Amino acid sequence: MKWWPLYGVRKKLTEWKTYTSPVIVQPMDSRLFKRSLFIYIIDTGSSNALNFEIIALEAPQYNTHRFGIYFTDSPRHADVLLVLGRPVEQMLDPLHETISQLPNPFGIVVLDDAPDDLPPADYSSLPNLMAVIRGVPSPSEILGLLLDLSRPKKLQK
Amino acid sequence: MKILIGVIETPGGEMLFTMDNGVASLLPTNNDIQQSYPNYHLLKNHSLKIQNAPISGTGVFCFRYGPVMAGVKEAGSFNLYTYGEKILRASVDLSWKHRKIETAMINKKPDEAIILAERVCSNFAMAHSVAFCRATENALKIPLDIETKNWRIILLEAERVYNHLNVIYKLAGAAAQKVLAAHLCSLFEEALRMNECLTGSRYLMNTNMIGKIKIPQLAQIEKAIAGYQQILATFEQLYRHSLNNSNYLDRLHISGTLTQKQVEGFGLTGPSLRACGIQDDLNGTAEHLIGLPVVTQNEGDALARMETRAEEIVNSCDYIINHLKVSDTWKQEPEKNKTGHISGEGCGIANSASGALGYYIHIEKDIIRRVKICTPSYVGMHAVSEALKDMVFTDFPFVFDSFGIYFSDAAL
Amino acid sequence: MILLFWVTLLLFIIGALCSLKPKLSYLFGFAGSLCALCLAICGFNHSENILNYPLTSGMLLSIGIDHLSALFLLLLSVAGIMLALYSVDYSKLYPQRTLSIGFNISFAGMLIILLAQDGFTLLIGWETMTIFAFLMMLPSGRHFEHSYKFMAFGEISTVLLLLGFAVLYENAGTVAFSELSKGSVLFLVLVSLGFIIKMDIAPFHGWMRGIYGEIPDNTAAILSAPVTLMGVYGLERIIPAAPKNDPWNLIIIILGAFSAFWGGLQAVAANKVKLLPAYSTVENNGMILTAVGLYALSVKLQSDQMKYLSVFAQAASIILALSHTFAKTLMFMSVGHAKEAYQVQTIDQARGVWSGVGKIPAIGIVIAALSFSAFPPLIGYSGEWMLLETLFQSYRFPQGITQFLAAIAGVLTALAIGLIGFAMIKLIGYTALGFDHGRKSVPIPKKLMNFTQVILQFLLVAGGIGLPAIIMLIGYPQLLTGLLGIPAPFVLASGKPIFGVISPTFIAIIMFFLLAIPFFLFQSRKKKVRKVNSWNGGIPLKEEEYFSAQAYSQILEHILRNVYRTREVKSETHRRLEVEDILTAPMQFLTRIVQKIGEGEALVIMNGKISAYVTYILVLFVLTFIIGVAFS
Repeated sequence: MKWWPLYGVRKKLTEWKTYTSPVIVQPMDSRLFKRSLFIYIIDTGSSNALNFEIIALEAPQYNTHRFGIYFTDSPRHADVLLVLGRPVEQMLDPLHETISQLPNPFGIVVLDDAPDDLPPADYSSLPNLMAVIRGVPSPSEILGLLLDLSRPKKLQK
Repeated sequence: MKILIGVIETPGGEMLFTMDNGVASLLPTNNDIQQSYPNYHLLKNHSLKIQNAPISGTGVFCFRYGPVMAGVKEAGSFNLYTYGEKILRASVDLSWKHRKIETAMINKKPDEAIILAERVCSNFAMAHSVAFCRATENALKIPLDIETKNWRIILLEAERVYNHLNVIYKLAGAAAQKVLAAHLCSLFEEALRMNECLTGSRYLMNTNMIGKIKIPQLAQIEKAIAGYQQILATFEQLYRHSLNNSNYLDRLHISGTLTQKQVEGFGLTGPSLRACGIQDDLNGTAEHLIGLPVVTQNEGDALARMETRAEEIVNSCDYIINHLKVSDTWKQEPEKNKTGHISGEGCGIANSASGALGYYIHIEKDIIRRVKICTPSYVGMHAVSEALKDMVFTDFPFVFDSFGIYFSDAAL
Repeated sequence: MILLFWVTLLLFIIGALCSLKPKLSYLFGFAGSLCALCLAICGFNHSENILNYPLTSGMLLSIGIDHLSALFLLLLSVAGIMLALYSVDYSKLYPQRTLSIGFNISFAGMLIILLAQDGFTLLIGWETMTIFAFLMMLPSGRHFEHSYKFMAFGEISTVLLLLGFAVLYENAGTVAFSELSKGSVLFLVLVSLGFIIKMDIAPFHGWMRGIYGEIPDNTAAILSAPVTLMGVYGLERIIPAAPKNDPWNLIIIILGAFSAFWGGLQAVAANKVKLLPAYSTVENNGMILTAVGLYALSVKLQSDQMKYLSVFAQAASIILALSHTFAKTLMFMSVGHAKEAYQVQTIDQARGVWSGVGKIPAIGIVIAALSFSAFPPLIGYSGEWMLLETLFQSYRFPQGITQFLAAIAGVLTALAIGLIGFAMIKLIGYTALGFDHGRKSVPIPKKLMNFTQVILQFLLVAGGIGLPAIIMLIGYPQLLTGLLGIPAPFVLASGKPIFGVISPTFIAIIMFFLLAIPFFLFQSRKKKVRKVNSWNGGIPLKEEEYFSAQAYSQILEHILRNVYRTREVKSETHRRLEVEDILTAPMQFLTRIVQKIGEGEALVIMNGKISAYVTYILVLFVLTFIIGVAFS
């Protein structure tokens, strides 16, 4: 019988490659987050593709924990708020309430999966906005973005 | 078996959108017909708040879970009435995710609206686009060639594979089976990569069109065959191994049990129906080249739903591999002439991973005037609300996740 | 001291006579308690005989004071001072005459109990206390049968004491306490049982359930603290002097530990704001009984280790009695203050005392509850840990059966402490520190209420931190030592050679530094503080979404559903859970039988017919005539 934990390690599921962000961002504070970046997810009206990409990001192929990137269950423990989907009207209040719970310093990243034919939304009212990405980025791209946020390029190994 | 999928309001009166042995049809309604469908009232009043009546009592309070919650990563809330551990009533609020997609489709051309259909619930993007396309093709009498039909089925099965892997991954994670969950997640990621390999989109989006489909290249097909063989082999081993873990099975056993009568009352389709021992024939439609075996279990609990999905993954992977191998032999028929209809009314059903998904569409001069989307997640939410009764909080993820339903699909 | 005694008694009697003016009556009660305190201080290290009154040949009513009496009188008088002052304000809400009469005379009765030097005097005081405590609860509520149940248990206790002292009289020819050593095992058992029933030990606690929610809070405080203290005093007086009986001592150890466990268990499921402290009384008195039993088991053993252990066990019982008296008095005062201000009955309804009623009753509830939960460095922590340390040393006892039963008692006691901690957190979390939901309290007179609560809060905290001083004061300096860098006398050693230590003073110092250093660091950095709402899934909590107090305990009520007999009462729109205290079942069964007999008697014998009554009178007349003739 296979011993599955060891089997997984021997299979070398984790991929070693450079992850590229789809947009250019400045690191939030490279002293604070280079070995530890905690992310809280809020779905404000996505089509579920973004939710599934976040689930895929938890896969061993990406192994975000080796970079110190974790997902939290509470916004009070989060460094980055990942907003999934263009906010529908009824989710605006919960979004603002969630933002008010984030401890300083924090950053917000919006993944807007609205169809391309819709005009871009204005997110300038969100505090500490680090990036807005249109469409559904792949887990590699999301990981690239998070790495860019948390550390300078040369330390992304 | 005849199942009511939706209730359509038209200027000419109310119509019943039914499915009979996998074939969609619209029937005029009357009182007698309404009586024969126990889920008629549930579908007629498409309420965004399910089982909303409160329960009173000493010490009873409403524990609201959502709309921003870490467990179910979607915008939606559960009002769980309880006096402690036991859930007395679970009321589901879908309004947080209501994006008015049906309204957005009105006054659009079908080619433009297909993008919206895929965005109702992107993990069912293929099922939504297939159902939408079938409804449109039915309305405008557009003929389909065999290649389009077969590829749609293959891609629907590909969608089923990754969705089922995701459901079982969530169940394993909730049962603290971290190693199993990690392996399943890696298979889930591989399945998404196979989707990208075949269609260029991890969620099979932008592939389906009205009357046709994008066909993958041969190299992509060969890579996908190897990939699905690997997924199948690994999953079979994992699944067999997981069945030895009594802790894991015990968490799922008797969680969220529904009886046959209850599932028929809601009009559930898909694995949740088949887990109660009812053979629905969605797989055996004329659209399939060779019918997939219908997997059933008997208990109607979360374990049965998980086992049904696991066996379906194996069958679907087999189906995909076998049909990808012969896909280059499907005759490339000359493009059939479109009939030139620009108005009409039609309905279409697709077999999504969680059950029958139907579209009704009314087109006038190539513009959509009426559309109705009937999703398995909507009736699934009613079923979840019922299944959560008398469960304890700790069993919540097993009950909810085992149905494989989503707020985006239910709320539209 | 003789003068002080008479002045004290007189002040209580005058207080009762002034019942038309309740405020004045309680002020006399306060003065009486103050004199009692002076008497206790005088008698602490100086025994004196106060009164000897011959009744018949061989029977002497004798009153006097010694160290043990003075110690308990000290506890009683402090409780009395606080309750009397509290009642001055409280009397504006409850001005009934029977309350102030009952208050004063029951304290007078307790004074006599503590100073009695013979069984007869003790019984006079006992019955006085019981009857006038009953008087205090008589006008309360709609259901008189609850107060009659208290009376029934009180009279059972009196009857047992009466029988016990009768046996003593047969054994020794006197009921003086100086001759207790001549008593037999039967005397020991009867008298112990009498005191145990007064201590509300399970299963004799059944009368509490119906009445505690309805009686005024000063009555509840008296029933819970001073009255049960009399039972403790009785045991402390009788058991060391009476002949040692190991099987009985083992029985009371197990009974005490079981009672502690049962009290904790039922306190978890209690939802009424006064029933929870009532069950805490059962729990605490169970622990005191266990400590007394351990003391009785180890006293008269010859080895140095056992002598030390017996002193330590006795000290444990006294510290427990002290902490229980003060903490329970404070708890009922504070809970009563909150209850009257909010005009509610349940814990769920009495939420947010801190913001809705006042900070002082909220702090009172917190400190009293933490004391009961053995939270260091409060005095309750000291008492409960002293008991646990005694139980840990059960291996020192020579017999195997003693070691085994003491271990069982240890398990039950530890469970009890855990359960009562759970229950007290419920009280603190909902009542004292919970969200007030905009509840408004009615204005009530509270200056003296607040004053007395503050004093007791101080006593609980200071008593804990200053435990070495208390140990020295009550006469056990030999238990104090120094260890591992902590200088003497700040360490209380539980065994000889040293087994375990308790040092709440040291804990207090450490806690202070661990609190003060981060606090000063935080203040000095001047970080900006941002206030946010509690996180509830993104939207504010609605009124019906707050976690209820019943839901808090439901997990235990579900797990232990066979013990609680938890059952669900349900309809389509309404559901609730009901639990039972199964130990009250025999009492309820007896109550039903008594009611049936009473009803039968009322229907058949006292049937309201003149002819029947005339017949009874004639029969009695004839019988008296016959008996009179026969005897003449």
